Amino acid sequence: MSSGGPASGVVVTLTTALALAPTAAFAIDYLSADQAAQLMFPQADRFEARTVTFDAEQLRRLEAAAGVSARSARWQVRVAQRAGATLGFVVVDDVIGKFELISYAVGIGADGAIRQVEVLSYRESHGHEIRLPAWRKQFVGKDSSAPLRVGEDIANISGATLSCSHVTEGVKRIVAVIELARQTGALA
Amino acid sequence: MTAQRSARPSNTHKRSIVLPRIRPTRIVAALALAAAGGAAVSQTPSEADLARKLEQLAAELAAVKAQLATLQQQRAAQAAASAPAVPAANAPAPAAETASPAAPATVWSSYGEIVYNRPTNKPENAQADLRRFVLGLQHRFDQKTKLVTELEVEHAVSSSSDPGEVEVEQAYVEHQLGNTWAARGGLFLIPIGLLNENHEPTAFYGVERNFVETAIIPTTWREGGVQMIGQFNNGIAVQTGISTGFDLTKWDATSSEGQESPLGSIHQELALAKARSLSWFGATNWRGVPGLLLGGGVFTGDATHSQATTRARVTLWDLHARWTPGRWDFSALYTRGTISNSAALNAALIGNPTLIPSAFDGQYVQAAYKVWSRQDYALSPFVRWERFNTGKSYADLGPGLTPDPLPTETVWTAGANFQLTPGVVVKADVQRFRRNKDNDRINLGLGWSF
Repeated sequence: MSSGGPASGVVVTLTTALALAPTAAFAIDYLSADQAAQLMFPQADRFEARTVTFDAEQLRRLEAAAGVSARSARWQVRVAQRAGATLGFVVVDDVIGKFELISYAVGIGADGAIRQVEVLSYRESHGHEIRLPAWRKQFVGKDSSAPLRVGEDIANISGATLSCSHVTEGVKRIVAVIELARQTGALA
Repeated sequence: MTAQRSARPSNTHKRSIVLPRIRPTRIVAALALAAAGGAAVSQTPSEADLARKLEQLAAELAAVKAQLATLQQQRAAQAAASAPAVPAANAPAPAAETASPAAPATVWSSYGEIVYNRPTNKPENAQADLRRFVLGLQHRFDQKTKLVTELEVEHAVSSSSDPGEVEVEQAYVEHQLGNTWAARGGLFLIPIGLLNENHEPTAFYGVERNFVETAIIPTTWREGGVQMIGQFNNGIAVQTGISTGFDLTKWDATSSEGQESPLGSIHQELALAKARSLSWFGATNWRGVPGLLLGGGVFTGDATHSQATTRARVTLWDLHARWTPGRWDFSALYTRGTISNSAALNAALIGNPTLIPSAFDGQYVQAAYKVWSRQDYALSPFVRWERFNTGKSYADLGPGLTPDPLPTETVWTAGANFQLTPGVVVKADVQRFRRNKDNDRINLGLGWSF
C-alpha cells in the first residue's frame, strides 16, 4: 500500500469530523447545580436545601451497604418538591478523575432510583465522553440494589478508566446516602 | 462495677489521644465529669446519685464519641484523594459549587514497573529489571491552562557504564480554547494505537507491552510540536497537529536495532531533533457507545531533512477497536508503516545486515475477562495473539542485492493481571513464539500508577 492511500482516507475522516458542529458545549463548566436540578426535576416548583448529618453508626452502615467510603458525615441535599410533595433529591459532588476535579450532580427519585446524572464540569485532558448521554444513561433506573461498578453494570470508557470509576463510585455513594437518609427519616 | 470501669478517666483519656486537637473543651468537660463521677462513687453512698451521675457521664461520653467519630470522618475525607463533598455542596450560590474547585494547582503522579523475564529454553538469560520509574508533575496555571510533564528513568541506574536512560517523556502546555477545542504545545505523545497515550502498567494486560505496539508503533513515542484536540458531543475526539518526525540519516545498518523496531531506531524524542522537515499527524476516536472505542490515526513526514541524497517519507497508520461489555475486555489493532525511496538510501548501505525496509506491519487481538473481584481486588486472565513483521518488504535493489523480506513472527501470550487496588497491579504471563523459540518465556511483573 502506498503511503498516500491511507493518509488521504484519514484526511477525509478528519475533515468530516471537523465539519461536525458540536451539538452541545464541552465547556470546562457545563452546568450550574441549579440548572442541573431543574433539568432533573423540571416539574418541581421548589428545591428545599437540607443538610443531612450522619452519626458514626450510620456512617458505618452506609459504608457496609455501599461498599465505598462514606467520605463525609454531612451532605447537602436539594429536595425537589411540587405542591409540598417530594419528587426526589439532587446531590452535587466532586470527585478526582485522574488529576482533576470532576463536578457532577445526581438526581434520585422519591423511590430511590437514579433519575439522572449530569456532569457539571470536567477538566481532564481525556475522557470527556463521560458527559455523553449514552454513558450517563447507564445509571438511570438503578438504585441501591444495583452493583454500580465499572466493569459490571457500568461500561468503561477506554482511556478514561479512572474518571469512569471515580464518578461511578461517587454516584453509588450518593445513592446510599439518600437511601440511608430516607430510612432514618432525615429527608422526611 | 462494670459501669464504673467503663467510665474510668484513664479510658476516656486514651480515646482523646486519637484526636487531641479536636474540640478539646468538650473532651476536658468529659474528663472533668468523669473525674467528678469517680469522686462521687467514692464519697457518696447514695446509689440513686451514683446512677444519675453515671448516666450523665455516659450520655456526655456518647456525645463526645459521636462528635469525635464525625470529625474523624471529616478529617479522613479531607485527606482522601477525593474532594470533600460538603464544601462543594454547601456553597451558597450554585455557581460557586463548580466555579471554584478546591483542587490543588500542582499534582504529582507516578507510574512504574518492575519485571522478571525467564526464557524457558534459555533460563541462563533470565533477567530482573526496574523497567521504568516515572515521576509526573502537572500544574494548572488557571482554569484553562495547564502544564503536563513526566520524567522517566529506565533500568534503574543511568550512567556511562550502566544501561539506564533518563528521559523527559512528556512536557507540554495545554490551553482550553473554548467549548470544544484545546491546543497543546511542547513534547507530547503521538495519538497512534491504543497504548501510546495510555501506557501505564495498570492500563494494559501482560507484564510487557505487546510487540505490535513496541516494534511497529514505537511506544512510548513522543514528538515536539503543536496539536489541536477536539471533543465533540457525538463521541468523536479529533487530534491533529504538526510535529518533529523521524531521522533516517541515523539508520544504523550494522546494528540489529532497525530489525527490532524500525521506527524505534530512528525516533528523535526531541533531543536536538533534526527539524528541517516537520511531520503531520491526525487521529480520530469514537466513543459514542459506552464500552466501545473505534479509532485510527496516521503520522507522515519527510525523515531525511535535506541531509541525504534523496527525500524519504515515513508514514505510519493504525486502526484499532476496544470493546468492554461487562466483565469482558476485547481489543484489536492493525498498524502499518512505510518508508518511501528506501532503495536510494539502501544503495549506500548494501552489504550491511540491516537495510531500511519499505514496509512493516503488525496486528493483534486480545481478550480478557474479570473472573473474580472483591472490593478493589480483581483477577483478570487474558490471552493475546499477535503477528508482526519489521521488514515485510524491501525496495528493489536489483537481483541478488534486494534483501529477502523478514519472516513474520507470531506470539501467543496468556496470563493474568491481579489488581490489588486500581493503582497497583501484579502480573504473570507465558509467551510462546512461533519462529524464535529462544524467546519463549515466562514473565512476572509489579506495576503502579497514580
